[in-house]
Amino acid sequence: MMKELFPMKQVMGFIFSLVLTAVALMVYFFDMSFAIGMTILLVTAFIQAGLQLVLFMHAGESEDKNAIYITIYYGVLIAIFTILGSLLTMVWTYQFQ
Amino acid sequence: MEFFERFAIPHPSPAIYASMVAIAVVSIAIVVGLTYFKKWGYLWREWLTTVDHKRLGIMYIIAAILMLFRGGADAIMMRAQLSAPENKLLDAQHYNEIFTTHGVVMILFMAMPFIIGFMNFVVPLQIGARDVAFPRLNALSFWLFFAGAMLFNISFVVGGSPDAGWTSYFPLADNEFSTSVGTNYYMIAIQIAGLGTLATGINFLTTILKMRAPGMTLMKMPMFTWSALITNVIIVFAFPVLTVALAMGTLDRLFGTHFFASTNGGMDMLWANLFWVWGHPEVYILILPAFGIYSEVISTFARRNLYGYKSMVASMVIISLLSFVVWVHHFFTMGQGAFVNSIFSITTMAIAVPTGVKIFNWLLTLYKGKIVMTTPMLYSMLFIPLFTLGGVTGVMLGMSAADYQYHNTMFLVAHFHMVIIPGVVFAMLAALYYYWPKMFGFMLNDRLGKIGAWIIAIGTLVAFMPMFISGLDGQARRMYTYSEASGFGIWNMISMVGALMLAAGFALIVYNIYYSFRHAPRDIGSDPWDARTLEWATHTPIPEYNFATMPKIDTYETFWDSKKKGTTLFPDKIEKIHMPNNSGIPFIMGIIFFLWGFSFVFAMWIPLIICTLGIFACMAYQSFENDHGRYISIEEIEETEKELGGKR
Amino acid sequence: MKIDHSLPLEYSTDENRLKILGFWIFLGAEVMLFATLFASYFILSGGTGDGPSGAEIFEITPVLIETLVLLTSSFTIGLMVHAMRLGRQKAMMGFFIATIVLGAIFLGVEIYEFVHYVHVGAGLQTSAFSAILLTTLGTHGAHVTFGLFWGICILIQVKKYGLTPRTTNKSFIFSLYWHFLDVVWIFIFSFVYLKGMM
Repeated sequence: MMKELFPMKQVMGFIFSLVLTAVALMVYFFDMSFAIGMTILLVTAFIQAGLQLVLFMHAGESEDKNAIYITIYYGVLIAIFTILGSLLTMVWTYQFQ
Repeated sequence: MEFFERFAIPHPSPAIYASMVAIAVVSIAIVVGLTYFKKWGYLWREWLTTVDHKRLGIMYIIAAILMLFRGGADAIMMRAQLSAPENKLLDAQHYNEIFTTHGVVMILFMAMPFIIGFMNFVVPLQIGARDVAFPRLNALSFWLFFAGAMLFNISFVVGGSPDAGWTSYFPLADNEFSTSVGTNYYMIAIQIAGLGTLATGINFLTTILKMRAPGMTLMKMPMFTWSALITNVIIVFAFPVLTVALAMGTLDRLFGTHFFASTNGGMDMLWANLFWVWGHPEVYILILPAFGIYSEVISTFARRNLYGYKSMVASMVIISLLSFVVWVHHFFTMGQGAFVNSIFSITTMAIAVPTGVKIFNWLLTLYKGKIVMTTPMLYSMLFIPLFTLGGVTGVMLGMSAADYQYHNTMFLVAHFHMVIIPGVVFAMLAALYYYWPKMFGFMLNDRLGKIGAWIIAIGTLVAFMPMFISGLDGQARRMYTYSEASGFGIWNMISMVGALMLAAGFALIVYNIYYSFRHAPRDIGSDPWDARTLEWATHTPIPEYNFATMPKIDTYETFWDSKKKGTTLFPDKIEKIHMPNNSGIPFIMGIIFFLWGFSFVFAMWIPLIICTLGIFACMAYQSFENDHGRYISIEEIEETEKELGGKR
Repeated sequence: MKIDHSLPLEYSTDENRLKILGFWIFLGAEVMLFATLFASYFILSGGTGDGPSGAEIFEITPVLIETLVLLTSSFTIGLMVHAMRLGRQKAMMGFFIATIVLGAIFLGVEIYEFVHYVHVGAGLQTSAFSAILLTTLGTHGAHVTFGLFWGICILIQVKKYGLTPRTTNKSFIFSLYWHFLDVVWIFIFSFVYLKGMM
């Protein structure tokens, strides 16, 4: 009775999320270069986000899965353009400090 | 009495006082009129609580036309002031207020509702649906737009108009330089209207993706619906950026934060960056539905399939993606340097290519077509050369090195007017003439319509071509006057003539509406243009449920085929139809949002908190409400169909 | 209303499917909302003026508690949907309540965090950095707060009407919202706190 309330997929997903969080935390607890730290953070964050999307939010389970995936990809793509473009314009190349 | 001082106008003038009187008189007249003719019940039942996309569409369009005249009045005043050097008609402060409201009103409260109005009326019909996915949310979208528009419009008589341009750049827009509540109105009224637009985006995307008639795959949709789909994608991803920017601007002005300040680590140019991240996709939101209208009108009146369906779709998809990576071209001169400017120059020129593809497709549709020159077709024909003219000056502006010369001169002003007016306004007027018979059961007079189109087109050229010249000569934008010695006088005088021609053209349209209402025959049938798409397969007037039974779609132009080849468009038997009920909540929420916005503008915190609670109370009410809509019985449907002219 | 019994209840009517897709699209818009906040954060995070920087005010303990609490609440809301699909209303409501309680704990810790920041001189008006920090965290927190009230409304309806197409649809959509808030927090955790404390 209780077992069916805790499906393996969800439990594994939760544990994996905790692991990813712990990996990300290494950036705080250990000394490392900015580049390595950022890489770890980016990788763990995107994997965990993807996990939530597919496993927990059931993004792929309905007849609308194409529309849903396209919405998410489009949104993330434009978000990345906006963030990178803004950083490029306002911080990395800005000439008047 | 001190409490009421905050509502006074910081820079009054006789014109503003006269407007206060006029607004009060008109408002009282409306209330008295409604009471005298006992129309409150009718107004509430049929319009204020409607969730019907056709009614909402008409309401958006009426609002847009009213706002067109507000924005147009602003334009005439500006042109009059600039028509002679060192003119004394408007002082600098008033000129600033007027160009600010002109821009905000024309883009956000005229063009947007015009477009959204047609999307509302036409898209569900074109895809064979009974309404949009979320009818009550749709009504809320309208009332939020209305609340935002009304809030913005009273600014010039209560508290002071915004005066920092439609782009409201910081630090000018901060408290130090914009001391009146005008910029608060800007931040908050646009925020409210923007929420409505975002909801529209979600609504129409869901509608188009999920509610098409059986057999209508994405690649069999009419082109206007495709343009609506892409436009709503852009809306969904662009408007949240504006939401954040406006919120940060509000915090800076009302809560002492330093996002865009010049001190405490703030970055004033961040506003410009965020504004244009939204602002550039916004202009594509404006133009894509216009392109959709042209596709429908041109193919109907060339009596031909639209040429290059797939490339039309592809070009719009590409435009939607590219529209998010060109925004820096609005501020090449801001200091990010040549490397970034070059990147955005390239993306800007790239985005001209898919638009060019569309122009060629329209031309190829005309080639070997049997052209019928009606008013909508005339607007489309006038659009092509005038828009191309404006468009190529856009490519000039997109060359970042050259832009240092053109930026913020009248050259820029001429460019964007020469793309927006022939692009968006002509399309809206064409759509107005085209869809009028379906909306109201009679046609607008074609002769008057064509004369008006020519006057407007020539007026556009006369008004804006001289600005290219005076801009290259050095006339700056947003300057309330200029000296005799500058030599700008002659160009501005010519522009004034053009502005008067535009005013005459629009007045003729109003006259046409009046004239046609009185004299046009009402027996024009339900397909007076012999058109190609599903919205013309309905009766006129369109019954509440749109179609008695669902159409069955085989090709891109199933309606046209059914007319020419006699195939059955509506094979099913009539069944009872489930319709949503009217609801007062959207209207009430609109009113509360208006009061919320007003309280916010004047920093009246207690009313603000009360209104906020009111908004959440409405949402909670909605959540607990058990409204399951109603059914229209088979007998009722059959009776309606018989009255309107038989099952089609 | 036609009910398709081959699908889970929350997907079983036309209206239900429309609402779920519509909500996913809304989440797409929310991605851009938070993206704008993140873009502004990265641009303004150096703008500390006379005030403190992130490294000076962030504390790992409350952040860790918030992260674990929110992650667990995301787990429990997932279990809620699973129980709902099994038709086990009591278990479903139990997991729902657990989620809301965990959300409230999250908010409590976040409020403590905000008070702490103001105490150490990073208030809303101190600098551009403090403004964008508190606004970004605050927007996420406001979403959580709204979620708690919304969740309670849905819970009341589930108690009253049981597991119907309507109540399951609302509950499922709530779970989408709640998972999304956890996704946003993952990015806040990584790129606001951890990056700031590197």
